[in-house]
Amino acid sequence: MNPTKEMQLSTPTDTTIVITRSFDAPSRLVWAAMFTPDKMRRWMLPPPGFTITTLECDPRVGGGLELAWKSEEADPAMTLRGVFTEVVLHERIVHTETMALGTGQVIGSLVEKHEFVEQGGVTTMRITQTYASKEARDGAIASGMDQGMEACYKQLDTVLTQ
Amino acid sequence: MVVDRSPRLDLVFHALAHPARRAIIRQLSGGERNLSELAAPLKMTFPAATKHVRVLEGARLVRRRVVGRQHLCRLDAAPLKEATSWTEQFRKNWEVRFEALDSLLDEMKSEEQPRTRRP
Repeated sequence: MNPTKEMQLSTPTDTTIVITRSFDAPSRLVWAAMFTPDKMRRWMLPPPGFTITTLECDPRVGGGLELAWKSEEADPAMTLRGVFTEVVLHERIVHTETMALGTGQVIGSLVEKHEFVEQGGVTTMRITQTYASKEARDGAIASGMDQGMEACYKQLDTVLTQ
Repeated sequence: MVVDRSPRLDLVFHALAHPARRAIIRQLSGGERNLSELAAPLKMTFPAATKHVRVLEGARLVRRRVVGRQHLCRLDAAPLKEATSWTEQFRKNWEVRFEALDSLLDEMKSEEQPRTRRP
């Protein structure tokens, strides 16, 4: 039921981060979970005090990816916008992505590629993030760029230590 | 909410980005060395090696003390640990997402089971 699922994190070039993880499901289901808005809400856990207000995802070439979060202080507090540039159904998908604060101040931009390989009902997903520069890449790792995820992890920590 | 510990960590990552500086760190992990000792195995001029040591000093990975005419360098691994834990944080952030995906996929599989012949 639970094969080796440990994620692999590597930095094969100066501007990339590669994340690999296997899932116990066929690629079409992993694809659907990754790119269907109501499914995405299940794993894009908002940080504490944040609520997802917009989640649109149209995984076709030229289709958009749009997320917004609100907090008690700001609406939106954070946004993510991107466009799909390459789509091979259930196999390979590439989109751009720009994260910004509610004020419009850009936090970071990257190109994200997802590749899916299914074997014996297990799907290995490989995410390749390409940043504009080495500094941007290192900054993303160092700061956890995606603040939502960072806070989300803290939230889990809180639950685990209760 | 905005993480501002990164400027210092950026210095650490920048310091680690050059193979010569990683070589210097490896050498220093064996103990204190003077600048000539550090420069020799790198097949580098003395000023070039000094430049790398300065970058490492800027990231607070290396401390330098002057004894007579010798510049003795030693490693301070504390910033390395901090950097590692932040990489670890990045990894854990993704792991949390993936665990949520695992349970979602389990649900999706059981939802479609009645409709497929998959065993």
